[in-house]
Amino acid sequence: MRPLLLEHYRTAKQSLVRARMRTALTMTGVAIGVASITTILALSNGITNIINDQVKELGSTVAVIRPVSKQSSLQDLANPTPQNSYTTSPLTERDVESIYELKDVQAVAPLMTLSGSVRKAGASPERSSILATTPDFADISKLKMSDGQFIDSVTLEDTAVIGTQLAVDLFGTEEAIGKTFLIRGQSFTVIGVMKRQNDPINYNNIDLDSAAIISLESGKLFNSGVAQIQQINVKAKPGVAMADFKQKITNLLRANHDHERDVAVYTGTSIAKPTSRLFSVISTVMSLIAGISLLVGGIGIMNIMLVSISERTREIGLRKAVGASNRTIILQFMIEALIISVIGGFAGFIGGYVIAFGISMFLTYDPAFSWAIVGWASALSVGVGVLFGLYPAIRASSKDPIESLRRYH
Amino acid sequence: MTHHTASSPVISLTNLRKRFGVGEAEQYALDGVDLTVEKGEFIAIMGPSGCGKTTLLNIIGLLDQPTEGEYLLDGKSVEDLSNSKRARIRAKQIGFIFQNFNLIERLNVLENVALPLAYSSMPHLKRLVAASDMLKNFHLGEREYYMPWQLSGGQTQRVAIARALVNDPSIILADEPTGNLDSRSSHVIMEELSEVHKKGNTIIMVTHNPNLTTYASRVITMLDGKIDTDTKDLTIEKPKVAEKKPLGKASKKAAPKAKKKRAKKVKKS
Ligand SMILES: Nc1ncnc2c1ncn2[C@@H]1O[C@H](COP(=O)(O)OP(=O)(O)O)[C@@H](O)[C@H]1O
Ligand SMILES: [Mg+2]
Repeated sequence: MRPLLLEHYRTAKQSLVRARMRTALTMTGVAIGVASITTILALSNGITNIINDQVKELGSTVAVIRPVSKQSSLQDLANPTPQNSYTTSPLTERDVESIYELKDVQAVAPLMTLSGSVRKAGASPERSSILATTPDFADISKLKMSDGQFIDSVTLEDTAVIGTQLAVDLFGTEEAIGKTFLIRGQSFTVIGVMKRQNDPINYNNIDLDSAAIISLESGKLFNSGVAQIQQINVKAKPGVAMADFKQKITNLLRANHDHERDVAVYTGTSIAKPTSRLFSVISTVMSLIAGISLLVGGIGIMNIMLVSISERTREIGLRKAVGASNRTIILQFMIEALIISVIGGFAGFIGGYVIAFGISMFLTYDPAFSWAIVGWASALSVGVGVLFGLYPAIRASSKDPIESLRRYH
Repeated sequence: MTHHTASSPVISLTNLRKRFGVGEAEQYALDGVDLTVEKGEFIAIMGPSGCGKTTLLNIIGLLDQPTEGEYLLDGKSVEDLSNSKRARIRAKQIGFIFQNFNLIERLNVLENVALPLAYSSMPHLKRLVAASDMLKNFHLGEREYYMPWQLSGGQTQRVAIARALVNDPSIILADEPTGNLDSRSSHVIMEELSEVHKKGNTIIMVTHNPNLTTYASRVITMLDGKIDTDTKDLTIEKPKVAEKKPLGKASKKAAPKAKKKRAKKVKKS
């Protein structure tokens, strides 16, 4: 069997090299598809890795509660503006309080992000976010202050803690303690500046370096006294079994929410699931493009194989006459299709990483390598080759040798 | 018509029929052929165009299947053989030679000759060595790396014969092997086939050229899908003649008869 396989490989190589141009063009089709997929996976893995690292650093005692986002519908795709922040989150202050009462809980921090700008006379930084939370946030996120203190139960309502970058953007200096700025027109005094984090992408979905953190009470005042909680971070006491802990919180929330499954509790690496809605929209669109280009690449293979087979009708007849079975002929042409798709796929994989690194120059993170991506790229290449090579190969094998040999009489 | 000898025949066909087309277009290319071929025979088949010669060779070579009738190859029926079994028999036991040579243009002479060996699982290098040896037998040793289009017609057909013989088949089927060659090249090819025959191979050859039947040990003429004359029938009455000797006289007796029939048919059409 092996000499025959080698013979198929040799034959395929010969015929592909002879039609270099069209072979290369067909390979390009597959390469584009695999490249898009590789790019998407490399970039999204990059994000996931970063968040995983952060989660690891946090230790294994943190659980995160998020509303369950509805499946992204076609309408969401057409409207890239994230709507989550405008809809009511099912998470409430009551949830926060009842979680506090669980005996395994060490700290709880609700996160309420506020829309609106942070300003100062003469300076309105482009990138800034506003987070309203409780003092426990510093503990759970292991926040370090470079100056001043974090908000606590006795700090006044109009005080804020800001990130280093925001301090520089607002005041031109990191020494911002005591200075005032406006949030939605309200004046706040800086009581603390956080150490630089350099984690623009994290499981809290907030770039803390350019964030202003205020107390939950102040945040509620901006929202007619209602806490609009997007996420709750919970820290367990040391030595608590997390699976159990997660189950307890889940049960509690189910009871609170009339058994609606509208929120979910994440622990460990599942916290790191990409949370950015925009990112998921982009990757959905790119996956769609990738899928279409793979399809087009596959049709290209099928097309070229059919052409090649009709050109080689007489050869097929002759091969049968000298002893090729139908199976042998199928295998021969499958191998030819596979060579196209695998070489195309390999080029696409390399190209995908080149593109991912190119894109990452404009991003705050690097693409990641993983064997899973290699696996996907290989599986897709082989899959396309098999899927679109099979029909032409079967057509080739079912050619009547007599007809084939007769045609050129 | 079946004719028994001590050893069982290589090929035994009984009431073989082959239909092409359906309904109005229905037509029997073979219409009741009985034929027994002993090992080592060199049979020449003659007959007008369209009388079913190629169809007969294709069925004997397991490229095609009869509509009716029985085909025993080495005493065993081939009717129920799977596609891959038939292919294996073609690969090991049968060598085809075509009128239009049928070399693969993209492969050089050596690779063309080595082709059948690929289907008997021989490693590449061994194949090329075997092919090279075979080409030397046909005095084409120095043409190994030529491409098919660089050869003359006679050379091309010798390459095709080398290819048909490279897997050491017991049966060689040649469909008008000299049909595209001039008379001198034709005789060269026939000499080669004679050599092959002398080594004990069974050859069945279709030809339009009566002069070439002198090389054969038995001449059959076909008409309208049936066997019309067979020199073997003449030998039945006589004491057994050594089969390998060319039956020049017998074929010359048969040939004019065939010619007459052909002439009749031409007039009709
Ligand atoms: N594949 C086929 N389909 C339809 N008719 C065929 C086919 N092959 C042969 N025939 C018909 O069968 C008859 C015998 O053909 P063939 O065996 O090629 O004759 P020969 O080789 O003696 O010239 C012819 O009439 C031919 O038209
Ligand atoms: Mg013919």
